Amino acid sequence: MTIQAQANGPVTPVMMAGLAGLVVSLAIAFSNLMADGHAAFNTGSDGVIWGLPVVNYVFFALASTGLTLVASVAMTFGSQAWYPLAKRCVWLSLVTLVAGFASLALELGHPFRMLWAIPLNFQPTSPLNWMGLFYAVFLVLGILKFVRIHVGDWNSPASKQIGLAALVTELLAGGMLGMAFGAMAMRPMWYGTLVPLYFVLTAACTGGAFALLVTYLAYGKDAAMPDKVRSLIRGPLPMAFAALLGLTILVIGYRTLIGLWSNADGLQVWDHIVASPWFWLEAALLVGAFYLLLEKKALAAAALMVIAAFFIDRYFFVVGGQLAPLFKGAWVPELIPYSPSMTEWMLTLLAFSIVFFGWALGEKMLKLEAAPQGD
Amino acid sequence: MAKWGMVIDLEKCTGCQACSTACQMENNRLPGENYQDVLYYTEGKQPTPQLKWFPRPCMQCEEPSCMHVCPTRATYKTEDGVVLIDWNKCIGCKYCMIACPYGVRFYTDEKPLVEPNVKAVFNGDRKLSWNPPYKGPQQDAAKGIGIQPDGVVSKCTFCYHKISKAPKGTPDLDPANPELVEYVPACVRTCAPGARYFGDLDNPNSQVNRLISDKQGTRLLDHTGNKPQVYYLTGAGAAGSAVPGTRAAKA
Ligand code: SF4
Ligand code: SF4
Repeated sequence: MTIQAQANGPVTPVMMAGLAGLVVSLAIAFSNLMADGHAAFNTGSDGVIWGLPVVNYVFFALASTGLTLVASVAMTFGSQAWYPLAKRCVWLSLVTLVAGFASLALELGHPFRMLWAIPLNFQPTSPLNWMGLFYAVFLVLGILKFVRIHVGDWNSPASKQIGLAALVTELLAGGMLGMAFGAMAMRPMWYGTLVPLYFVLTAACTGGAFALLVTYLAYGKDAAMPDKVRSLIRGPLPMAFAALLGLTILVIGYRTLIGLWSNADGLQVWDHIVASPWFWLEAALLVGAFYLLLEKKALAAAALMVIAAFFIDRYFFVVGGQLAPLFKGAWVPELIPYSPSMTEWMLTLLAFSIVFFGWALGEKMLKLEAAPQGD
Repeated sequence: MAKWGMVIDLEKCTGCQACSTACQMENNRLPGENYQDVLYYTEGKQPTPQLKWFPRPCMQCEEPSCMHVCPTRATYKTEDGVVLIDWNKCIGCKYCMIACPYGVRFYTDEKPLVEPNVKAVFNGDRKLSWNPPYKGPQQDAAKGIGIQPDGVVSKCTFCYHKISKAPKGTPDLDPANPELVEYVPACVRTCAPGARYFGDLDNPNSQVNRLISDKQGTRLLDHTGNKPQVYYLTGAGAAGSAVPGTRAAKA
């Protein structure tokens, strides 16, 4: 095993910021939830049912799927050039999943009851169950794979098989998360056979963005990177990422147009979405990042832009599907007003803090820069 | 085994909300969280405005999407065709509320739908959603009957605590029949113009089936495939109660 140049980017400041975020978000979220229960959220039976905490979950769970995809380029599909990122991606796929689960657990009415009630009464027709099962299995496989590569076993048949199984469960999980929304024929904003594909595609984008971002955070700048990392970061990675992002921009564009065009009840929310400055910010961030990736310029900024854009996209997706009231009455608004509460935003801060603290911790203690010897 | 169903005659419904009030009392519902509600909506402009209303309980669907998505089988369908929630198994994921096309489910643990917050006045100590001074005679968590505990979802039970005690084989629970009146759902029993009928959809001789057949009973949002067990009669004589259109004119 070669140990490449030790990380010398702003790992400690990121760790401190993550820690501070953890303390602040946990303190505020817990005190509000203890005092008010879920009345501390702005969700409601006559309003938005799944609010920002679910947006966080979808965002981070899919980032986890995406990171596993990035890691698999080297580990499963054998592209040697991608090895320098693999271990970081495996670690981060675990951390992002934990972050997503944390937000979801604080959203559930009875998170502990879930631990026995689902296994004992497993409902096979619920996409939520399969998604949970696949993500749970991935968590185990991901940890096993990480332990393997941590001790230097990158390529033994067992290690490869665990890696492949982890990839397959992550894809099934991300796809199943797509199905949890895509199967809802009563909510046309979500409904569609291709939603799982949309989720996996956008997951890959966020996975790529996190991989790129933490690489820059680890080394600070291009010049500080080991040769192999630099040639990946300045070569195949931005190219593949740009291709993926270009495709995704196309898909998002057509999704929007179809939403605007159709008269189906529930799709009027698209008028509201395109009237929002956040939508145009998302569009600008995506197109801007696409350009930067093509030009191989300011790649850390491009990664941040993609992360921000997809957070907005997940928000519009999850919340947008619920904004058209199922029945309109005299005092039911055309669209349901919703803006997340302070407590909900704290769960977003919590999830991001877990990710950055967890990454920095790994960077310091787990030799995330390691890659297999030779080649 | 019966398959309980309801018929609501929109020609008779006056939109008086007696059903909602009776439901609220029977099931200790919080203000604004009635299992049974009458929706009011306006269409058109002066001088030809229309005020319409629409009574809406849980449809007790034959193919309940709420049940299919429930990860813990907390939402289930009884042999006699009623969709219930086991509050001991519900984890409060709210997927059922997402999946119900009719918007008839309620999560407890949130801001009150109607101010002032009576939950604060009659505090349930976080175990029950509230602790009203009067209570229904029954509390049956495994069937989702009684006062809703914290962190779970609730919905109309067709007054399961009443209808499940009806003599077997009864074709219709007619509130006018003194022998049966105690088994009749509260909304049906209280409806002053007698717009609601309750009976066995599996019995071809039941009055509910006769009405559905004679007056072309229709089901709400039938395209969703949920197959409601609540039917509406929409005869030409309806004063203002009507099945709501879906996508209203853009504001
Ligand atoms: S109306 Fe909604 S809550 Fe009632 S059975 Fe149908 S899907 Fe379930
Ligand atoms: S909130 Fe409860 S009843 Fe509804 S789907 Fe989740 S576990 Fe089932």
